[in-house]
Amino acid sequence: MSFSDQVYQELAAVVGERYITRKDFILAGNRAKTPEMPVAHPSAECIVCPATTEEVAEIVSICLRHDLRYLACVTGCIPSAYASGPDTVFMHLKRMNHMEINVEDRYAIIEPGVRHVQLYPEVRKHGLSYAAAAVGPGGSPLVTYAVTGGDNHVQYGASRPCRYLLGVEMVTPEGEILRTGSLQTDSGWFCADSPGPSLRGLVRGYSGNNGKLGIITKCAIALDQCKGPAEIRREGISPHHKMFMDGDCSRVYVFNYENIQDVCDAMLALGEAEIAATVQKYFYLPLTLMMTDSANDFFKKWEYCKKTVPMPLVVHIATQSPEEREYEEKILFDIVHETKGTRIPRDLEMWWEEHMDYFMIVTRLQSVLRLGGSWFPCKASAESVQHMCDIGESISEFIYDFTDTGKIFDAPENYQIIPMEYSHFASSELLFMWDRFNPDGFKNMMEFMAASSATDAKYFYHGSTSSGYGPSAEKKGKLYSNAHIWMEQIQKAFDPRA
Amino acid sequence: MADLNKLRYTIESCNHCGQCKWLLPGRMSGWDFAAMCPIHEYYLFDAYSGQGMLNIAGEILSGKMSHHEDLAEMLYTCTACGACDINCKNVRDMEVLDTILELRRDCAEAGYLPEVRKTELEKVMNTHNIYGLPHEQRFSFLPEDFKDDPEADTVLFAGCSAYRHPETILAAIKILKAGGVKFRLLYEDEWCCGASLWRMGAHKEAEELIKRNVETFRAKGVKTIITACAECFGAFRGGYPRFVETEFRTLHITQVAAELLQQGKLLLRDDGEDMTVTYHDPCMLGRLSEEYVHWDGEIQSWGVHVPEKEWRRGEFGVYEPPREILRAIPGVKLQEMVRSYEEAWCCGHKGADIDGEFAAYTAGERRREAASVGAEVIVSCCPFCREALDSKDDYNLKYMDLTELLADNLREEGQV
Ligand SMILES: Cc1cc2nc3c(=O)[nH]c(=O)nc-3n(C[C@H](O)[C@H](O)[C@H](O)COP(=O)(O)OP(=O)(O)OC[C@H]3O[C@@H](n4cnc5c(N)ncnc54)[C@H](O)[C@@H]3O)c2cc1C
Ligand code: SF4
Ligand code: SF4
Repeated sequence: MSFSDQVYQELAAVVGERYITRKDFILAGNRAKTPEMPVAHPSAECIVCPATTEEVAEIVSICLRHDLRYLACVTGCIPSAYASGPDTVFMHLKRMNHMEINVEDRYAIIEPGVRHVQLYPEVRKHGLSYAAAAVGPGGSPLVTYAVTGGDNHVQYGASRPCRYLLGVEMVTPEGEILRTGSLQTDSGWFCADSPGPSLRGLVRGYSGNNGKLGIITKCAIALDQCKGPAEIRREGISPHHKMFMDGDCSRVYVFNYENIQDVCDAMLALGEAEIAATVQKYFYLPLTLMMTDSANDFFKKWEYCKKTVPMPLVVHIATQSPEEREYEEKILFDIVHETKGTRIPRDLEMWWEEHMDYFMIVTRLQSVLRLGGSWFPCKASAESVQHMCDIGESISEFIYDFTDTGKIFDAPENYQIIPMEYSHFASSELLFMWDRFNPDGFKNMMEFMAASSATDAKYFYHGSTSSGYGPSAEKKGKLYSNAHIWMEQIQKAFDPRA
Repeated sequence: MADLNKLRYTIESCNHCGQCKWLLPGRMSGWDFAAMCPIHEYYLFDAYSGQGMLNIAGEILSGKMSHHEDLAEMLYTCTACGACDINCKNVRDMEVLDTILELRRDCAEAGYLPEVRKTELEKVMNTHNIYGLPHEQRFSFLPEDFKDDPEADTVLFAGCSAYRHPETILAAIKILKAGGVKFRLLYEDEWCCGASLWRMGAHKEAEELIKRNVETFRAKGVKTIITACAECFGAFRGGYPRFVETEFRTLHITQVAAELLQQGKLLLRDDGEDMTVTYHDPCMLGRLSEEYVHWDGEIQSWGVHVPEKEWRRGEFGVYEPPREILRAIPGVKLQEMVRSYEEAWCCGHKGADIDGEFAAYTAGERRREAASVGAEVIVSCCPFCREALDSKDDYNLKYMDLTELLADNLREEGQV
C-alpha cells in the first residue's frame, strides 16, 4: 500500500498536527545527499515527531497496517538515517529527550533525543563519566550505545559502550513495546540481561544494527567514575576554545613510533601495568586536521605532522592525586623507552593538552570533514590488540596503489587502534579521504573499500567494511564473525516487513 | 538567480552532523540551555535550521524546488542570528549564514518576500527609517540646547531606533561628552543603515541605500562612526563591505566607553544600588560583527580556497567591552549565562512579525536562562533585543540598556 491522506490523518491523531508534516520543503531537510555518500535519498512521505514510547509503538503499528517503511532518526549524520525507498514514514525522536541520573547506582536513563552535549556535563557534575562518541555535541548517546558502532577514545580502563548498556525499552518491528534485562521483571534498569538468551546481545550485537531490529525508546547506560575534576576550566572563543583538566592530576603525552609492532608492545605493557585513562594509536590525518583553522591551513601543517607523527601513540594520564600521576608517568616513560617510542615536540603535545574536548565530546573530529567532507571508514573491527595491529600492518598491502595514484588522500598510516579493558581488547578503524572534486572520487572510494575487504577475506581478519559485509563474509565462511548473519535471521523471523 | 551557485561548496559539504543546532562543548553545562538554533527548537523539523536551509538551497540550485509563499515564510522565521554559522565554522570551512541570506535574496528576487518584510522595505525606501515615521522627526528628541561639533570627523550614528528609544542616544551623547570625545550628528542626512534590507535579501535596494550612505559619509569627511545600536554596528562592519568599499572605522559605544573608563576619563558614582545582572550578547554586536572581507576565488581539490580566504568565525566580535563596563559599575555583579559570547541564544526579535508565538518563545527562553543564573536584570545594548527581552512574565527580571545604565552611573554630567 502507499502513503495516503488517511495514513497522514492516522499519524496526526497519534502525535497532534503540530508534530507531523508532509510539506515538501520541510521534507527536503532530511533527504539531501551528504558528501561522504553522494547518492540521492528518496524523500520520506512525512516526518513525525513522537513524544513517548507508546506513540512510537502506535506509529509502527500504523506503518505495518498500511505496509509502509519507517525509520528513526536523531541527528542523521550517517547514511542509514535516511529513507532508502518510497513510502517511508520518518520518525524524528528529538522530542523524546528526558534523562535521569542515578548517582548511587551509577547509571543514566536516557531517551534518544538526549545529546552528548547534555548528558556529558550532567554526569560529570556527579564525578561520573561515560564514553562519548566522536560524532560531536549533537549526537545521541542512546544511538551510540544501543544502535550504532560505538567505539570511542576514552575507554582504556573501561570497555566498549555496548557493554555498558543496561535495561532497554524498545518498540519491536511488530509494534510491541519490549523491555529487556531487569526491566522485564520490573526490577529496575540496572541489569542488561535477564534469564534466558541475551536479548540485549541479539538486539545490540557487536556492531549495532542501525535501527533494523526495532526502535529503542529508552535505555540505561552504566557510568564510570570520572578521573578528573567535575568542573573543566575553559578559555577562549570558538574556534579556539581551550579546555583544561586538573593540571596536577592530568597530563597528555604523545609519542611517535617507527612501527606498529612496537606500538602493540607498548599497549600491552601499559595494560599489564594498568595505568592511564586513554591510550590510542591515533589517526595522524585527523590529528593534524584538528589543529588547523582551515583546509588551506591544513596543507601548511600536514607535511610537518606527517613527518613528525606518522605513528602517534596518545596517552592521557588522569589520576586522583599528583603522587599517583607521578607514579604512572614513571612507568609510562619506562615502557615507552623499552618499546622505542619518542616523545613528539611539546608544541604538538600541548595542543592535545589544551583541547581536552577531544577526549570528552569529540566535536573536533568533525574537522576530518574539513577537506570537502568526503571520507569513509573501513577496517572497523574489534578483537585483541595484536589482531588490530596485524590488520593495521596489512593495510600497506593495498593502500599504496590508491595513495600513489592520487585516488585517495596520501595518508597511508591513517588508521587508529583503541585498546580497551587495559589492552585485553581493542578496536580499529582505517579512515580515508577521497576528493569529491575528482569526478572519479566516489568510484575510487568504492574500489578502495573492495580492496580493503579483499585483504580481510585473505587473512580472515575481522576487519569489515560497511558495504562489504555480505560478500566478504561469504568468502571468509565460518571463520568470520557472524553477528550480521544472525541479525538478518532475527530480522526475518520477527520483522513482518523483512 | 542570486549568487547561490557561489555557495555550492558549502551546500554540498554539509554532512548533517547537527553541530549547528547544539552548544559547542567549550561552553557545555548540562541538559538545559544546550540548544542553539531558535527555529529548530521551536518548529522541531530539521528544515528549520542552518543544515535544513542548506539542503533547501541545494534543491533550489538544482531546480528540484522552486520558491513559494510557505517556503518564504519559513525562510523568514529564521532570525539570521548566525549561531549555526559560528558553530559549523568551529570545525568546517562553510558559509552557512551567507547561504541563508543568499537563499532569501533568491526568494525575494523570485517575488516571494513576505508581506511584513515588503512593508518594512517600503517604509525604509519612502521614509528612510524602518518604522515609516516622518524623516524630519528623526532627531526631534534632542534638547534645544544640544550642540555637537560640526568639524568633528567622528559621527554618532543614531539609527532608526532613535525614534523609539531616544533615551539610548541621549545616554550615548552623555557618555561621549563626559569622556571629551568630539563628535557630530548627521541630522537630516542620516538615513537608515540598511541592515534590514540587506538581511531580508532586498539586495538592489540595500545596495542603493548603502552606497548613498557611504557617499554621504565621504562628503561629510567622516572617518569614524560610533553607534549605540548593535544592528547598525553589525551592518557597517559585516554588511557594507559586501556592497561598497568602506574606508571609515566603526565603533560601538561600548568599545568607546570601555576605553574611556580604562583611561580614567569617565568617573562613576559609587552610590548605585547592588544588583545581579547578566549580559545578553546581541548577535550583530557579538558573533556577526567581524569585518566582512570580500573573497572571490576558486575552491579547489580538498576544499583549498585560492586565494586563501579570511574567515569570519565569530571569534573577534565585541564581547569584552560591555562586560568591562558592567564590571566597572559599583554594585553591579555580573553573572554569565551558559549561552554567552559567541554562543549567545538569540533574542528572537526578527521572527516577531512573522510568527509572534515563536518570537515570544525565543525571548522567553532567554529570560528563563537569565533568571536561572540568579540575575535580577538582563542587560544588553541593542534596541531590538530590548524590544524582545523587555517583557513581563514570571521571572521578575528587569531589562536595562547598557548605554543608559552607564550614563546613569556617571559622576560627572555631560553637557547635553
Ligand atoms: C565525523 C563523525 C565521527 C564519528 N565518530 C564516531 C565514533 O568515534 N564512534 C562512534 O561510535 N560513532 C562515530 N560516528 C558515528 C555516529 O557517532 C553514530 O552513528 C552516532 O551515534 C549516531 O547518532 P545520531 O544521533 O547522529 O544517530 P542518527 O544518525 O540519527 O541515526 C543513526 C542510525 O541509528 C538509527 N536510529 C536512530 N535512532 C534510533 C533509535 N532510537 N532506535 C533505533 N535506531 C535508531 C537510524 O535509523 C540510523 O540508522 C561518527 C560519525 C561522524 C559523522
Ligand atoms: S550546516 Fe554545518 S554544522 Fe550544520 S549539519 Fe551541516 S555541516 Fe553540520
Ligand atoms: S541563523 Fe539562527 S535561527 Fe537561523 S538557522 Fe541559524 S541558528 Fe537558526
